[in-house]
Amino acid sequence: MDYLVTIAVLIAIYTILASSYNLVIGYGGLSTVAHPIFFAIGAYTTGLLAVHVPFIPPVGNVVLGMAAAVVASVLLAGSALRVSGDYLLIASLGFQLGLLQLLKNLEFTGGPGGLSAIPSTIVGPMRGPLFLAICGAAALACVFAVRTIVNGPYGRAISAMRDEELAFTALGRNAMSMKIAIFAIGCGMAGGAGGLYAYYFQYLSPDQFDVLASAAILTMVVLGGMGTAFGPVVGAILLLAIPQAITFLQLPPAIMAPTQGIIFTVLVLLFLYLRPSGILGGKA
Amino acid sequence: MTARLILPRRKLLATAAATGLAAPFVARAQGKEPIKLGSALPLTGSQAGYGNDFAASWRMGVKDVNDAGGVNGRPFELITLDTQADPQLGINAANRYIQVEKLPMFFTAWSAVVKAQAPIANREKVLEINAGANSPEIATLGDFVYTTFPLADVDITKLAKYVFTTLGKKTAAVLYINNDTGIDAAKIYRDTFTEAGGKVVAFEAYDPKATEFTGMLLKARAANPEIVHIHGLTADTPQVIAQMRQLGMTQRVTSYSAAYNPKLLQQLGAAAEGLIVTSLAPGVNDNPNVGKFLERWKTEQNRVPNGLPYCQYQYDMVVFTKMLYEYVEKKGQPATGETLRDALLAIKEFELPMTGKMIIDGHRVNKPVYLLTVEKGAFVPLATL
Amino acid sequence: MFEPVILLQILWTGIATSAPFVLLTVGFSLTLKVTGLWNFAQSGQMAIAFYAMFFALHGLGLPLVAALALGGVLTCGAAWLIEVYGLQVFRDRGSDNLMFFIFTLILSEFIIYVITLIFGTEPETLYESILSPVDIVGGIAISDWDKTGVALAAFALAALYGFMRYTKEGQFLAAVSDNAKLAELYGISAQRAYRVTAVISGLFIVAAMYLIGSHGGVVPNSPLELVLSAVIGTLLGGIGRVFAAAWASIFLALIQSFSILFIGSRWQNLLLYGFLFATILLFPRGVRLSWGRR
Repeated sequence: MDYLVTIAVLIAIYTILASSYNLVIGYGGLSTVAHPIFFAIGAYTTGLLAVHVPFIPPVGNVVLGMAAAVVASVLLAGSALRVSGDYLLIASLGFQLGLLQLLKNLEFTGGPGGLSAIPSTIVGPMRGPLFLAICGAAALACVFAVRTIVNGPYGRAISAMRDEELAFTALGRNAMSMKIAIFAIGCGMAGGAGGLYAYYFQYLSPDQFDVLASAAILTMVVLGGMGTAFGPVVGAILLLAIPQAITFLQLPPAIMAPTQGIIFTVLVLLFLYLRPSGILGGKA
Repeated sequence: MTARLILPRRKLLATAAATGLAAPFVARAQGKEPIKLGSALPLTGSQAGYGNDFAASWRMGVKDVNDAGGVNGRPFELITLDTQADPQLGINAANRYIQVEKLPMFFTAWSAVVKAQAPIANREKVLEINAGANSPEIATLGDFVYTTFPLADVDITKLAKYVFTTLGKKTAAVLYINNDTGIDAAKIYRDTFTEAGGKVVAFEAYDPKATEFTGMLLKARAANPEIVHIHGLTADTPQVIAQMRQLGMTQRVTSYSAAYNPKLLQQLGAAAEGLIVTSLAPGVNDNPNVGKFLERWKTEQNRVPNGLPYCQYQYDMVVFTKMLYEYVEKKGQPATGETLRDALLAIKEFELPMTGKMIIDGHRVNKPVYLLTVEKGAFVPLATL
Repeated sequence: MFEPVILLQILWTGIATSAPFVLLTVGFSLTLKVTGLWNFAQSGQMAIAFYAMFFALHGLGLPLVAALALGGVLTCGAAWLIEVYGLQVFRDRGSDNLMFFIFTLILSEFIIYVITLIFGTEPETLYESILSPVDIVGGIAISDWDKTGVALAAFALAALYGFMRYTKEGQFLAAVSDNAKLAELYGISAQRAYRVTAVISGLFIVAAMYLIGSHGGVVPNSPLELVLSAVIGTLLGGIGRVFAAAWASIFLALIQSFSILFIGSRWQNLLLYGFLFATILLFPRGVRLSWGRR
């Protein structure tokens, strides 16, 4: 059923977002709230190219979306990290808010009404399943990529940098370029997720990428278990599937959405109190 | 009735699947099997005040149509899904309607939602009908997206012309909310007003989340307009007008149906005097059914509905759907997105109880525009255009 | 547009409308200073404050004073409970900053959902009318609301200053904010300081929500936006500098208001964020991001 497929596609896309966010904050120790905006950069770049430059194949557009996200992230991290690691949080907040405001005000991006009529790529009854296969594969690739990065020698370097930066630098390693690299990889993946999103839903609304979305992604990461490779997957599934499941409880509409919200936030709070290391454990 | 209709449901589904029909609506054996009606509305969230009243109006319509026999004996079964006026949830709702409830058509409102659902409707060949949003872009969203509610170009054009020609105002300020609704409508007002011969001396957008409009209003004040058109939503319009009056601007204010709202009169008091709003549905004096509708609201809910004209449309959509289904059944066709759409275009002119005559003009719809103004703290009719 | 009367009007109204935001920013900034936490649970407290007063005025028909009192009790009570049964628990565990961030944010969302369930989502105002009487002074419109706002903010800031400077309790707060462990060595209870801070910020929140709720419509989600402006003011003022944050708030409001002279209104927010971004990159001003206290 296409309904279930859509939810599965969303889970796949958010798995990419949660995984890449986990790489940046969980493993890299970089505080940032700007993940949704890189999602947006990827989505809008892909969408705009698809609408205005028809001769580039969809894969190309998604890759270009990722590239745009990477470039933006390098610019952001490069300038912010020069001040201090903590500054990235503030700078990312400003970047997130500012760029979103820009997207809402430019006619070129469709303004507040959003970007619609992104052209179809796959048509026909197999569209849903095919998209699910593609997004699922991308999600798996992302999760394993993150796992490979952190389990390899590069990963040990990242841990060292995150836990004991002073010693790390003293040993002659370049913490700054490593941080920027991690940030770029994470944000690039988010951009790729955006490209996939644009093609599947064929419509982008700026409100979907606001700063509260970073809270949602962060919750997925924490619930699933920050610093574990598969934690974000679990988190994404839970946070997307549970609200949908609740809608089938046939509650009267006036209480449905807040009840959904209450059930969901209570679950998260319980987890935070009782099992803070997340479902899959990992570092406390 | 042909033999085809007596096939058991499963077999028909299998046949339909084999012939590749999109979401076949199951034609049934004679009996009371209900026809499902889908209306995606914001039942929660900031627009729920309207959304819930729309849903209530749907329910009233369904009850009346069912009491009168339904569609050839079959009752309607209303399924409302909550969109919170959010595009993503709108997409979920559309998917639910199409995949889970197997509906060949569904109703929707709120421009961003309508736009987000359009690709799905077009892809799945399911008829998407807008019954409340007014973004002109809706007319170009695709083969399966139609509107029964007049888009902004209908009422704003007539309003702007009226302001210049009948009210004799030569200069106007246009203040609008920086979103879909506001941007499109503001442009239409400006273009129409200028074309008629007037001059738009201030043209300012405000952020949807803004609560302070002093700067914008001072700019407008400095431009010395004879009249001010405010195009916002229910939450911000009263604040803009309030601050306008507090800054000493005494010009008359025009707005559109979102300002046709009793709560606004409460919040503004005397500051609302002279306000002109548009309504796309006949009022109590134009159509006796409207009075009865209001009475029913007062009896059942103890108040008047939010957005009365919109609610009239929602009520009428049940009757409208009945007409489409009857047409399709008369032709012996199953009710699919395509057949219903063709019915829509073939019937073209609908006589509906609460909103009167509706003429479908391709992806648009033409309706008269009713102007009302605030006199002594109440809305009274001003003109019909 | 550049006549003195207009400029003064923009100045006055800018300052007046910044009053509630100054209060929110100070509450937020004070909490950050003393506890080292970005306490997003304050947006939940904002919702409690408004709806408590709304319920008192409309549901119970109480007079204003009683409504304010109810708002104060519930908000400060909630703040205290959150501090004792929420934040302290995580502190004792040695949780990291992200945990606090998520906890406070999700808690706020929980509170807001409960309030949505009870009160619905239609915009509500504390009074039926959102207009207040206006005096024209030298060509400038000054409304009663303006005067209330400015007076309330000025009084609150003065009171806070006096409290921090001249009372023992206030000095304890300063000590704990400087160095909690050292303060404990001197017999100053850090936990007590945190709780006092919670109550003070609760009072600021009630005052702010009174102003906001009597000026325009509020929906349960409004506080999520409001806390954002508190964060920005705090950041610009400099972490640990509460009164600088207050000035920053006013300054930001004025920048936005005056920008209208040069750019369209719809760019006001972008200007704000762009300003924020540029300032923090170019003028670090010795911001020390000190994270969670133990």
